[in-house]
Amino acid sequence: MTGPGAEGSERGLRPLGRLPPPEACPRREAWQMARSLSRRARQTVAGYLFLSPAILFYLVFLLFPVGLSVYISFTNWNMLAPLERARWVGFSNYTYLLTRDDMFIASLKNTLVYALGTVFIGMAIALGVALLINNVRGSALWRFLIFAPVVTPAIAVGRIWGGIYHPSQGYLNQLLRAVGLPPQQWLSSAELALPSIMATAIWAGVGATVIVFIAGLRNIPAQYYEAARIDGARPWHEFWHITLPMLRPTVLFLSVTGLISAWQVFDLVYSMALGGTEAGTTPARAVMVVALYLYTTAFRNLRAGRATAGAMILFFIIFGLTLILLRVLRRGGLEAYE
Amino acid sequence: MGRNQQRRGWTLVCTAAALAAVMAVALAGPGTALAARTKIVWQVHWTDFQIDGIYQGDRLVARGLRQWVEEYERTHPDIDIELQSIPMEEYLNRLIVAQAAGTGPDIISVLNTWGPQLVYDGVLDPVPADLVADVRSQYIPVAVEGATVDGQIWGIPFEVGNYALVYNKKHLQEAGFSGPPRTWDELVQMGAKLTRRAADGTVERYGFAFLAGWESAVVHPYLGLLWSLGGDFLAPDFSRATFNGPEGLAALEAELQLFRSGATDVSASVWEFPQGRVSMMIMASWYESSLKQAFGSEYEATVGVAPIPAINGKSVNAAYSWWLGVNAQSRVKKEAWDFIRWFTAQTLPDGTTRMGTYQAENIGSIPPRKGDLAGHPEQLDDLYTRVFVQELANARHEPNVLQGAEIKTILWHEIVEAWHGRKTPQQALDDAASKIDDILREFYG
Amino acid sequence: MSSRDTGPAAGRRRSPWPAVVGTLRFVVTLAVAAVMVLPFFWMISSSLMTYQESIRVPPVWWPEVPQWHHYLEVLRDPRVPLGLYFKNSIIVSSAVTLLVLVTSSMAGYALTKLDFPGRDAIFRLFLATMMFPAFLFLVPVYYILKRMPLMGGNDILGLGGTGALQSHLALILPFAVSAWGIFLMRQFMMSVPDELVDAARIDGASELSIWSRIMLPLTRPALATIAIFTFIGQWNYLLWPLIVTTSAPHLATVPVGIRMMATAYSTALNAGKLQAATVMAIVPTIVLFLTMQRHYIRGFALTGFK
Repeated sequence: MTGPGAEGSERGLRPLGRLPPPEACPRREAWQMARSLSRRARQTVAGYLFLSPAILFYLVFLLFPVGLSVYISFTNWNMLAPLERARWVGFSNYTYLLTRDDMFIASLKNTLVYALGTVFIGMAIALGVALLINNVRGSALWRFLIFAPVVTPAIAVGRIWGGIYHPSQGYLNQLLRAVGLPPQQWLSSAELALPSIMATAIWAGVGATVIVFIAGLRNIPAQYYEAARIDGARPWHEFWHITLPMLRPTVLFLSVTGLISAWQVFDLVYSMALGGTEAGTTPARAVMVVALYLYTTAFRNLRAGRATAGAMILFFIIFGLTLILLRVLRRGGLEAYE
Repeated sequence: MGRNQQRRGWTLVCTAAALAAVMAVALAGPGTALAARTKIVWQVHWTDFQIDGIYQGDRLVARGLRQWVEEYERTHPDIDIELQSIPMEEYLNRLIVAQAAGTGPDIISVLNTWGPQLVYDGVLDPVPADLVADVRSQYIPVAVEGATVDGQIWGIPFEVGNYALVYNKKHLQEAGFSGPPRTWDELVQMGAKLTRRAADGTVERYGFAFLAGWESAVVHPYLGLLWSLGGDFLAPDFSRATFNGPEGLAALEAELQLFRSGATDVSASVWEFPQGRVSMMIMASWYESSLKQAFGSEYEATVGVAPIPAINGKSVNAAYSWWLGVNAQSRVKKEAWDFIRWFTAQTLPDGTTRMGTYQAENIGSIPPRKGDLAGHPEQLDDLYTRVFVQELANARHEPNVLQGAEIKTILWHEIVEAWHGRKTPQQALDDAASKIDDILREFYG
Repeated sequence: MSSRDTGPAAGRRRSPWPAVVGTLRFVVTLAVAAVMVLPFFWMISSSLMTYQESIRVPPVWWPEVPQWHHYLEVLRDPRVPLGLYFKNSIIVSSAVTLLVLVTSSMAGYALTKLDFPGRDAIFRLFLATMMFPAFLFLVPVYYILKRMPLMGGNDILGLGGTGALQSHLALILPFAVSAWGIFLMRQFMMSVPDELVDAARIDGASELSIWSRIMLPLTRPALATIAIFTFIGQWNYLLWPLIVTTSAPHLATVPVGIRMMATAYSTALNAGKLQAATVMAIVPTIVLFLTMQRHYIRGFALTGFK
């Protein structure tokens, strides 16, 4: 791991009192120890200084809101009355959500499926696309085309694809009919609604993932491939033994951040299935996702306490999944990433 | 590393910091200026032409809210009224966020569903006695009922919404029907006949479509059926849900008949009525202007309105209402109520009120004040609204119960599960009732 | 240095595959491009249709007479101040991007090239901050901004006025630091050899100059990536600006504007104008990305990554 050089100093500061008396060792060693001490001190000061804006920011804009939210999750606050008047209800919000609220449980299941599906299928597709366009002539144009959906607000994406999925007027069913396949209900169907939304989400997000993969691909030094070529390796071996392992940090980064943001999906599901007049009659249990459910719990059903408790539960789920992911993707590999 | 490079590093950071500081100062924006005029903020759920007015070319044919407000400002130069136009879906959460931070609006447009909670939490200022008396004496019973929470009137009703059957006259004529269905059985049969399918089975035209997409859309028509069959939604003292009894089951079964007969399915959408892809629907009173715009010159010849087909000999339709209230946190309560008085209670020579005129001419909805109902014949006695006004006599207002939105949302989801056939109707209703009982026990137990 | 010198295609010698793979590649790329572009094509074409054309079944692909006037009417409409929306979005997105770049690279440097107690714990804490669902912050952060001392008419205790809520700071401050950016910078900076940094330290360079003279240039692709994503993410963010602009309409950004357009053009008849307005709101972002993309490529080429 990165750290002080090879002067032999161990981690952790050695308190001054424990320095051997000057007569006991050559002056050079004492000087080196003092220097390494001041190096540690200097790096500590520098470290915290460099981190100070971030730390300050999180103290103000994270610690306080989250602290407040934890408190709220133990009350029955409904946001209309002042917080001081909210009643303390202990863990009952949590127990209700986990035992009596089948819509919440359904939303957890749906969101899990959504997150795993969009992140991992999306990454696979994005990697394929990245390999495809990385060294193609005019790759800038292709990259632009693929990135355009990322740049579009989710509300617009939802409307556009809502139109594509329309049972009679949408492009998709028209295409199916043209080739003789049976048209589907897509967003109104209990079984197909979530996969349809996931497909749209992948479409909208693949461009961003491709860009990160391209950066990662370009990070792989050419010598590895040249060496492998000299040894007679076929493209598939190159991919499996060089490209993939070298992309491990990129994959780790994309998986973690992808899962974290996928678990909070809101805009897309709202505009395609559960958001009012554009939506049809999708059964809520089939597409409800956690963030949307918590939002309606807080702002429609006026249960800020319960919604915040749900958000805490969501946090622990994301946290747990991330830990699992970090463990899985850290095993072995060419380089150790912590 | 030379000192030059060190200096460059510092310069970089210092420039960034300076830039940030300059931006912060420059963008810090104006502080609260000393107000020369009293400002009243009204958060409204109206948009587009409802605020700006309806024009034909350059001519203003129907005033928007802005023009009404400007008239008040002209006659009261010390008052400045700011309109915050928020789309319906976001109205409540904007109100909540602003309220939590202490920047809530002075005048609130209250949907009766939110009413009980706003009252319970002390968000609303009690209505002045003279206005209470005005409401009790001058407004239709359905509206008075709708503005009442726990026996007291908490707002000035300005809009009552109810439901009727809206149908495509041309479709019915082509199919050989002499008029709209009068009973539910007729509706089911006609719906099935009017549905047209293509060779591969896709539906080109639905005989019937259910209003859907939010809780009231699905629950209100259901309540109408429930009440027609003699059942009730909740116990009168709100101690438990009663819709999962035999009448409630029969009401849901009646809806399912339309699915089973092929008159409709889960993909049918009332928003395709203007395209001619739906022949009949149960629709609310606020859809008129959209229909007029959609059909243009064909409007009169195409759109027909009739009472909801009777079931068991009765046709009850559900009603909801909007009221005006003043924020208890407001610092300009007196001025706010004065404006409300001017807008809703002060009668013009012909017996109408300004709010009533605004509702009838611009919004196209039904003003709940007797003087306004009588005083706007062109708008209220037209092809569309006439039937809704008529059916107000058969309307029953939904109960003003705490957590109304949550309760209706639960019922909404369960009814849709039954529509999809994922649950039997009894199961769906029982599941809904059990959850709703929990809520009622929590707040009324 | 051409793009062929890195990645899997580097140094490839002639083999019998290229022709087949090449064509297949082209076809697939074309299909992918088509899938990407079609929805936008639909958006543009429906912005040029009349209302009657837009509801026709089967759907019309391209209008008979393109209604270009939709665009002109939107531009002239005082209820849709596109100029204001763009101005606000540019200010907010640029400021946030700048702040995020500075804080992320500084934090990334500290987390990888400096050794001090608590370093790894702090990194894990940063990571954890990403996992909190966003809406937990809505009301508390609104409250904090309202109570900012000495701003917007507030006294030293933050009472009496509206704090930062009437200024662009309300849209900038809550996003000044990004754990995602810190994470990305850390991953990239880890691959910068420690020897470079140590050598610089031995030469007597300050940490600040190491950061600015060595780390920043070497991690340009990461910086460019963060810049692009932060800028665009901030540009497209709707929920928070929507809340802030309830009482501060002069701060409306482009997505809020798109929402306001839906309010101004809420009737079906105005659907064409709504699409036109949406197109005009989206196109500049795409153009912006195109320009930024060139810098991103050039920046990468200059790092000489071998």
